[in-house]
Amino acid sequence: MSLSLLRVENLRIQFRLDRNRLFDAVKCVSFDIPVNSTVALVGESGSGKTVSAMAIMGLLPKESALVSPDSLIIYGGQNLLRADAGQLRGLRGKDIAMIFQEPMTSLNPVIRIGDQIAESLMVHFRQPKDQALVRTLELLNEVGIPDAKRRLRFYPHELSGGQQQRVMIAMAIACEPKLLIADEPTTALDVTIQRQILDLIASLQLRRQMSVLFITHDLDVVGEIADHVVVMQNGEIKESGTAAAIFNTPQHAYTKALLACRPRIDQRPARLPVIEDFLNGNTAPIQQTERNRGIDDADSVLLEAKGVTKDFMVRQGVFSKRPFRAVNNVSFALPKGKTVGLVGESGSGKSTLGLTLMRLHTATAGEVFMDGKNLLALSIPQFQAYRRRIQIIFQNPYASLNPRFNVEKILTEPMIIHGIGLNERERRDMAIALLDKVGMPSTTLGKYPHEFSGGQRQRIAIARCLTMKPDVLICDESVSALDVSIQAQVLNLLQDLQDEFGMSYLFISHDLAVVKYISDYVLVMQDGEVVERGSPDEIYLRPQHAYTKQLLAAIPTGWSNNST
Amino acid sequence: MTGYLIRRLWQMIPTMFGVMLLVFLLFNTFAGDPAQVLAGKISNKADIENIRKQLGVDEPYWKQMAIFAKQVVTGDFGRSWATKEPVSEIFKKRIGPSLTIMVPILVIEMLLCVILAMIVAYWRGSLTDRMVMIICTIAMSVSFLAYIIAGQYFLGYRWELFPVQGWSNSLLINLTTYAPLPILLAVLVGLGPGIRFYRSVFLDEINHDYVRTARAKGLSERRVLFKHVLRNAMIPIITNVAMSLPSLIFGAFLLEKFFSIPGLGREVINAVDKSDFPIIKAVTIYLAFATMVFNLLADVLYRVADPRVEFK
Amino acid sequence: MSSLEDRPERQYQSGSSGIWLIGWKRLKQDRIAVVSLLIVALFMFVIVLSALGLIANKWDDQVGVSYASPGFLGKVENTEALSAEAALKELAVPKDAQIVDLSSLDPLNDVMPEVNARAKQLLLVDHVKTETLPFGGDKWGRDIIAKTIKGAQSSVLVGFASAFIAVFLGTLLGALAGYYGRWVNDLLEWVYNVFTSIPNLLLILAFAAVFNKRGLLTVIMILGVTGWTGVYRLIRAEYLKHVNREYVKAAEAIGASHFRRMFVHILPNVSHIVLVNLSLLVVGFIKAEVILSYLGFGVPVDMTSWGTMLQEAQNELVIGKWWQFAAAAFLSMAVLVTAFSLLTDALRDALDPKIK
Repeated sequence: MSLSLLRVENLRIQFRLDRNRLFDAVKCVSFDIPVNSTVALVGESGSGKTVSAMAIMGLLPKESALVSPDSLIIYGGQNLLRADAGQLRGLRGKDIAMIFQEPMTSLNPVIRIGDQIAESLMVHFRQPKDQALVRTLELLNEVGIPDAKRRLRFYPHELSGGQQQRVMIAMAIACEPKLLIADEPTTALDVTIQRQILDLIASLQLRRQMSVLFITHDLDVVGEIADHVVVMQNGEIKESGTAAAIFNTPQHAYTKALLACRPRIDQRPARLPVIEDFLNGNTAPIQQTERNRGIDDADSVLLEAKGVTKDFMVRQGVFSKRPFRAVNNVSFALPKGKTVGLVGESGSGKSTLGLTLMRLHTATAGEVFMDGKNLLALSIPQFQAYRRRIQIIFQNPYASLNPRFNVEKILTEPMIIHGIGLNERERRDMAIALLDKVGMPSTTLGKYPHEFSGGQRQRIAIARCLTMKPDVLICDESVSALDVSIQAQVLNLLQDLQDEFGMSYLFISHDLAVVKYISDYVLVMQDGEVVERGSPDEIYLRPQHAYTKQLLAAIPTGWSNNST
Repeated sequence: MTGYLIRRLWQMIPTMFGVMLLVFLLFNTFAGDPAQVLAGKISNKADIENIRKQLGVDEPYWKQMAIFAKQVVTGDFGRSWATKEPVSEIFKKRIGPSLTIMVPILVIEMLLCVILAMIVAYWRGSLTDRMVMIICTIAMSVSFLAYIIAGQYFLGYRWELFPVQGWSNSLLINLTTYAPLPILLAVLVGLGPGIRFYRSVFLDEINHDYVRTARAKGLSERRVLFKHVLRNAMIPIITNVAMSLPSLIFGAFLLEKFFSIPGLGREVINAVDKSDFPIIKAVTIYLAFATMVFNLLADVLYRVADPRVEFK
Repeated sequence: MSSLEDRPERQYQSGSSGIWLIGWKRLKQDRIAVVSLLIVALFMFVIVLSALGLIANKWDDQVGVSYASPGFLGKVENTEALSAEAALKELAVPKDAQIVDLSSLDPLNDVMPEVNARAKQLLLVDHVKTETLPFGGDKWGRDIIAKTIKGAQSSVLVGFASAFIAVFLGTLLGALAGYYGRWVNDLLEWVYNVFTSIPNLLLILAFAAVFNKRGLLTVIMILGVTGWTGVYRLIRAEYLKHVNREYVKAAEAIGASHFRRMFVHILPNVSHIVLVNLSLLVVGFIKAEVILSYLGFGVPVDMTSWGTMLQEAQNELVIGKWWQFAAAAFLSMAVLVTAFSLLTDALRDALDPKIK
């Protein structure tokens, strides 16, 4: 093992919840960051990975975070946890720098980017401003900002998300740090931008011989970038070792599960393995038959969209407005009991299309046929009957349930509106039955959304849709906000429900692997238009359109492809 | 920028019309016949008949509105019912004293509040912070009246540190002799709510991600507060100041009443007392206009403070 | 069977921990909030008793000498009281004499002694005015404590009633503007702009000038009708935010009507803001009522409020009679308003969805 740059030993952090309750965020964590290498800290939400990084930076909130006195973070022969504020400030930004998940909010919105980067140099090297700005220009060129000289004077909002993250990186590397901590630096970015940022971080690491602590939930990214991997769950380290060891011969059941439960481009098991399978020692699902996907002529068409178009009005100039076309002339057919996948990056119009189909947006043009009727032309009372037949599950399980309703109210509300169930008791019994169907106990009935995890909330949202026994379910990025292990469970649930009730899904996602896994037919959208369509296998093996090719090339390849 | 200004000025017209309508509804329809309103306040029958004629009381409402609209457009609101002095004259005479005490109050109060709030925000969560907040709350809970009564009694009457009341014709004497006590009292009263407001603004900003970035850069807490946080807090600060600007003209009418300062606020109080409608109407219209101008000014200043704001 | 059926009900009870319960739990942990709550509750209790006529209903009786001294001060020289009493005696004597004169001619002669005895008793009672009162007396010798309680009753009533009106108007209009947007929003924004173009106190004075009648109802209406704008702006902003939230879209997807979405789905999510603003406005309106009454545009002359007490206190202070000022301005108003404000702050923190 090479020389150690920073060593975390026996790190224990507790958070004060209120006057007499503490929460163990990090329990006894030890790991080593060697000189000139990339260490990945992998874990799902709540695993304590970000808290550990903030402890290294000395940026934990003083009021609520308690660090155990026997914890050590050794850097340069010094315990950072014992260093005084002045010493820490000297190290922060100079020896140890950090970039964050949301570049938009992490940059100061009212200060020019050039000044923000130069500030680091002025503070740590006492450089005069003009000299610092000269260096800043070099840095912007180094991180690949085009036309850097002009952009020095830009404000953060004038740059795209990818460029903002590049600026963050330039700011972080300004003082030639020995350690760069990257906290989910690509999670908020589109897959093609993620590719660029990952390549940039890797090349900077090589060129500058610095160490990188890369925090992420995404094992595919880890496999590509990391030399060493630390797997965390619930504040504990489950496994750590070299990337090769972790990916080729994972020892811990949790690591194995994480590796297996993510849908892969090249496989399609009938059911995704979930964490419980591994913790129970049941590894059978891994060797199971592939599921057949695709649409054949025997499938009857349930819903058909023809030339759906949606314009938004954007203000322009002093008095006028101009239309912005979010969805342009999209047509497709959704067969009964099958799934149509809709894939594209942010701003491609895929979510708008979903909302327009069920009249949550008013379509500018086009028709949507169901039972031979054009849903978009029906009057509101007429449409009410169809409303319950098309339901939607949103992306953010934290926002899609009314925080002031308990589960019983959430589930019985649609029944009351549509006159399902004779009385309160009957509706409650139906709610309990549906909760059971989505794998939730009936004890959840009196609880409120904030008492559940993301995955549980998404199950409740699904149960809410099921109360109306819909024919079509639109899944708008429904699993994107979930941890991989939860994602697998929800995908399995959706598949089981489709098998049982024969519902048709319109599955909207930016995640190509998930769409490939669950879809029978795929549409690729870019700038409001469908640029490519076909069976998933066909599209993923032989993409025709340049944009599809670009998307597929940007997917992190993970470890296995790397090693072969 | 020019286009934006034109559009904003254009948007003022319906608001101004609304203010006129409100004033008209209040004073010409709800208030009823001036003969009734002024019964017991003006004894001369001929005077009242004259007023009725000026207002066009017996004319249909649209004609009365037209008379009023003409007043607004020309800025000539006729004469006071009580003193028969032209309203514009009264206005000109009264605005000086109001500004003499209000400008210092606004400037001193804002500076003190922002600085003190910054200090409190720096010590956020500490015992000092909590004590200051509770003191502010208690200070806010005592009526402004109590401050004035007690201040005038102790500082003026008992200890003779300031004159109890009075006003002169010289700006210098006013500023050095008569204005300090009312200014002191107003600033004292303004500190409580001011510190609380700006502190919450600063604390809101401190929770933003960019503050974490600034700290991760190794900046000192002072630099984080005074460079990064203060720049972002400018928008609410500007809003707050712009909102308090109209009171520049209206003045702290209570102060004017207590300290016998011949300002606009005292004039309005007396006018309300005597049902002297022309003065109230004029002041309302003038102030509404001033408020709109100040709001526009604030919007233009937002652009200076925040590059994200665009003139759309 | 029955036990099985009962089960969900019981779980509903035990599992229920909505915002209000959580907020209440948080509030209970805050010592300042608990003390404030107790103080506010005590005030409300006293005010309710006074409103029911159980206490302080004889606040208008002249039970003491003019400017009777507070009991804890002991007897101090009271020149005002002496001169006032002298004047009263001069008035009383001839009246008494007249009654005696007439009695001999009166047909009701036999009942007269009884009447006279009664009158004497009354006069006696009337005349035995105490030199000291627990917290002193005012110019007419009225008990300051009873007066302060009665004053609190009018001030707090005005504060609450006008705050309810303002919050109701603001919430309703804000909900309509934020939810519907488009022309509804444009129209209400116009009304809002008109009302906020005029400084608030000037607007109140303008209303006061027009509604010439003094009275509780007038004050309440004036404060309520002019005070809705702040709540409107906040609630409108909240509705603008919430109407695009996924849970509202989900409610639309399940077919909930506009009314249902507006008031059944969204309103509970902004209700904590409504509550906090209600209590902020109560504090603001109590203060506004004091100023209005002081200026003489507030409660009618036959009622008392903290404002009218302060008005009297201004002159009393100069002659050294400080107790009415202390009772109205500090002991009652400052204590209640401070407790109410601290409670509001705690309420805001306790109901803040950001703090988990």
